[in-house]
Amino acid sequence: MPQFESHFFSSLIFWEIVSFAILLFVLYKFAFPGILSVLEEREKKIKDSLDQAERHRSEAERKLMEYEAKLNMAAKEAEGVLNAAKERAQRLMEENEQRMTIEAERIKGDATREIDHERRKAIQDIRAQTTDLVLMVAEKVVQRSLNEADHRKFADEALEALSKSYQR
Amino acid sequence: MEESPLHPFELHEWIPISLGGFDISVNKAVVMMWVVVALAAVFMVIAGSARKLVPGKLQSIAELMVDFIRSMILDTMGKEGMRFFPLIATLFLFILFCNLIGLIPGSYTVTSQIIVTAVFSCVVYGISLVMGFLIHGIKFLGILVPPGTPGWLLPLMIPIELMSQLARPISLAVRLFANMTAGHVILGVLFGMAISGGLLIGWLPFAFTVAIYGLEVGIAFIQAYIFTILTCVYIGDAFHLHGHDKHAH
Repeated sequence: MPQFESHFFSSLIFWEIVSFAILLFVLYKFAFPGILSVLEEREKKIKDSLDQAERHRSEAERKLMEYEAKLNMAAKEAEGVLNAAKERAQRLMEENEQRMTIEAERIKGDATREIDHERRKAIQDIRAQTTDLVLMVAEKVVQRSLNEADHRKFADEALEALSKSYQR
Repeated sequence: MEESPLHPFELHEWIPISLGGFDISVNKAVVMMWVVVALAAVFMVIAGSARKLVPGKLQSIAELMVDFIRSMILDTMGKEGMRFFPLIATLFLFILFCNLIGLIPGSYTVTSQIIVTAVFSCVVYGISLVMGFLIHGIKFLGILVPPGTPGWLLPLMIPIELMSQLARPISLAVRLFANMTAGHVILGVLFGMAISGGLLIGWLPFAFTVAIYGLEVGIAFIQAYIFTILTCVYIGDAFHLHGHDKHAH
């Protein structure tokens, strides 16, 4: 094989080392620092962006939780207010009903008493008027004067009969 | 008369130079090394000078390569391995450009010279030995004893491990050389068959050369990668004595 011809070894070794050293120097001085720094810068930027995104995300989550808690609290408060209002309305209604019932009872009682009273008065009036009327009639019919006691006696008898018929 | 498939690997003195008794004549392979250095340097310097946060095409390619080598070093050697980044990255680029430029018809594949790959592998292995002894002192000889070896096995294990250690630079050099040589030999043989076969049947080997050529482009990348990652592993082994599992060759 031509590659094993040792005649060229020395020149190949020499020039390989020289070429490699030159390339190493040039790249080390002019290429690698720039490329590596750009890579690192980009990595840092990406990492920073990710970190920032993560921060924003957690903040958003925290805010969401805060709002949810607030919302819950508001809902509870509203429920409380509603319940209190309902209770109060119920109580008012019951009170009103009670008061109305009592008032109605009172009015009814008053009316009954008045009616009773009026009835008694009417009966008394009728009785008195009837007595006078009967006396007058009796006087006319009998044409004679009776003493006061007789009058009363007849009158009471007549009244008794009248009231009996009235009651029937 | 048919050309030998090994003909493309032959070298001829172009400019005879002698330095202190050593022959450092310029030949085709030497010129190709210069071309490789020039192309790699120009490419990387131009691509690296565009330091945009959102990279263009050229910058992307350069950054892809640099990031590829960087993550390779970080994976195998850890953070302290970044000291060797310039050396390893240059090695990768040098080998890659040699492999790729060698695929251009009429050019020369520098890495198909066993002496070239041997120098690289000896340098790499030498660095790993020097680093190992610098970091661990005489304890670095413990690399010859895998952890958990019972005492009575030592007379057997030490020679075996010694052989596996010595096989490292040899396999590293031979792998790259053999892959590059074999690819070009296959291409040469197929081209020879295509030409001697004529139009009637020659199209078949010619079709194969197209496929093999594509394969060779892949192999150019893969072999550069393998050489580089083994470099990382060997130097990394010097850092972390028994810290990593031995990588398969």
